[in-house]
Amino acid sequence: MSARFIWSANSREARTYKIVGWTLFVIALVLFTFAYADTAQIEIFGNGYALSLPRASKAIAFMIAILGLQVVVGYTGQLVLGQSFFFGTGAYLGAYMVADHNWPWVLSLLVVVPVCFIIGAIFGLPALRIKGLYLALVTLGLAATFPSIVQLDALDEYTGGASGKTVSSDLVPPSWLPLDGISSIFQNIPFFGQYFGEGDLSSSESERIWKFFLFTVLLAICIWLVSNLIKSRSGRALRAIRDNETSAAVSGVNLAKDKTLSFGLASALGGVGGVVYVAELGIASPLDFTQLLAINFIVGLVVGGVGTLSGAVVGGIVIAFIPDWSASTESFPGIPERWLQGPTGVFILGALLILLTFVLPGGVVAGMRRIKGRILQIVPQPPKGARVPTPPDGADAELRHEADEITAGVAANDPLTDEPKD
Amino acid sequence: MDLFLARLFDGLSNGSTYALIALALVIIYKATTLINFAQGEMAMFGAFVVLVLATEQGLPIWVAVILGMVFSAVAAAGIERVLIRPFDPYDHLPLVIVTLGLFLSITALAGIIWRFDPRAFPRMYPAGTALTIGNATLTWYTVGVVATVLIVAGLVTLLLNTTKIGLAFRAVSSNIESSELAGIRVGPTLQFGWALAAAVGTLGACVFVADPIRQLEPSVMVRVLIFAASAAAIGGLDSLWGAVIGGLVIGMVQSIIVPYVGFIPNEMSLATAVIVLMLVLLFRPSGLFGTARVERV
Repeated sequence: MSARFIWSANSREARTYKIVGWTLFVIALVLFTFAYADTAQIEIFGNGYALSLPRASKAIAFMIAILGLQVVVGYTGQLVLGQSFFFGTGAYLGAYMVADHNWPWVLSLLVVVPVCFIIGAIFGLPALRIKGLYLALVTLGLAATFPSIVQLDALDEYTGGASGKTVSSDLVPPSWLPLDGISSIFQNIPFFGQYFGEGDLSSSESERIWKFFLFTVLLAICIWLVSNLIKSRSGRALRAIRDNETSAAVSGVNLAKDKTLSFGLASALGGVGGVVYVAELGIASPLDFTQLLAINFIVGLVVGGVGTLSGAVVGGIVIAFIPDWSASTESFPGIPERWLQGPTGVFILGALLILLTFVLPGGVVAGMRRIKGRILQIVPQPPKGARVPTPPDGADAELRHEADEITAGVAANDPLTDEPKD
Repeated sequence: MDLFLARLFDGLSNGSTYALIALALVIIYKATTLINFAQGEMAMFGAFVVLVLATEQGLPIWVAVILGMVFSAVAAAGIERVLIRPFDPYDHLPLVIVTLGLFLSITALAGIIWRFDPRAFPRMYPAGTALTIGNATLTWYTVGVVATVLIVAGLVTLLLNTTKIGLAFRAVSSNIESSELAGIRVGPTLQFGWALAAAVGTLGACVFVADPIRQLEPSVMVRVLIFAASAAAIGGLDSLWGAVIGGLVIGMVQSIIVPYVGFIPNEMSLATAVIVLMLVLLFRPSGLFGTARVERV
């Protein structure tokens, strides 16, 4: 089956499509930022669903952690379930550097990234021998121990024990940034201006906007780094390990080195996510980083799509918003209210996990790609001088169809995507 | 000495509970080489059913336990048929994901139905002490739990070694393709494994919360699963009696070694179990009694 539009990667249409697409995306993001800087709600069936920047920032923290899981589970094929351990480590370490040593948040990454990388690599060493389900078990156990580790008496003065570690934010927008000006421009748009509030932004609103902006940039950098890694020699080695460890080793992949790298990188990303989380929330408390969070990350990974970078983005949104929104659903037509008062969010996540494994193993991203593939395909341009065999006009339609399939098989090369898993 | 004995008795009762859940894990692992991450939650759900039968329907506790085990077995057979069988048994990722999904859904379902307030579980064993040595008391609870574990492990062994379905189960766990060729219906046999495991697990959860110092709540088995998995790994993951011994070892480690070794704080017993698990997997992946696995490429 061929798509409605097939454009070559360097054609004018494909370039326009990309530029227009990304511009629209950025504009939508900016509009969202200013429209929901205050805690805004959408009303459905009498329930208020919060759609505010703090939640979106939390989603970004999760996205970065899931991005780490994409590296180690999605691309290297190691069943690591303990991402919440590194998420928590990053959160506590960041809070410690900022609260106790007055480091700026951005600089705390300089400590968190190497420390989490090293811890992850150390835990990766046993993983060279422990495989498959056993690894899943050990890493899940690791995630389960995190809350009791940070509540140890010996660490109390650094972690704040059971009550958690509070930290204030220094992420104030620089004075040269005319956030109020931009906001008033939006407010003056006829008809739509009302969605952007009135008057100048309060200091907490502009702080939220600034944080969200910083976190988005950080996420973009992380995605860019990982997508480069995946396309590099090391990335190909990781995928070779995923597909068949033995044949990867036979082909000259250094299993020990590349697996350790993958573990370290995943853990470092988990740590970065943790820093974002605590920078947004202002507190790191032990019960935020239980094995439930670890399993939620797996939900995000699977729902978004294992082995896709954009899957991490979708997954982060899912695990940040679904539990909160289910908690604020107090009435729904056809469902007794008593049922809605329990942990419905967790139930939905669990059911979603099972359902997607059945109907859409590639996750939401795979589904969207399938739909997009029916409408539009961007095929790589053949190198100059290469002869592309095209069946003559009069040739068999079957043959022409086959040629289409072959060109379609060469995957489209979006900035956020890589080639499909299989 | 008294303190040591008291801790020994503690270790025995904790270890026996871990042994029961470990037995459930081992039964499923033997059949499908899959670790069921939802085993603890399925057991917790079963224990809630038992609680409802015993307190709201007024059934005698052991009748309620047996009905609860039957309920769990039927439910697990259904879960196996609908959610597990469609997947390739050798591809672990989807199966792990499905069991994690079950983990979340079952905890949440219990929370939705029964809420999160802890509830007292009826006594399953006579109250009082069986034996007093100095200041250390051996309660009837501890005696009862140890006896239950030994009886259950014995019955499961008997079931697998003397019945036709047990024979089929052992054949399937040894080699799926060959047993299929020999005319064994693999699906129903694995289903039987899931049902058996769920029944044993439910008994384990009941025994665990029947301890007067504990109460039943939806998150009660979350930590137990890690202990039980360590126990199963020590025993070798495919050895029934290995799981029993592994459970006792983990129970002993938790209540004897952790308090005596000064530098391990008490809250770290879970971490100790994880470390034991890691060490076993590193240095003796087939555990104490498991069969070493040969991987063909």
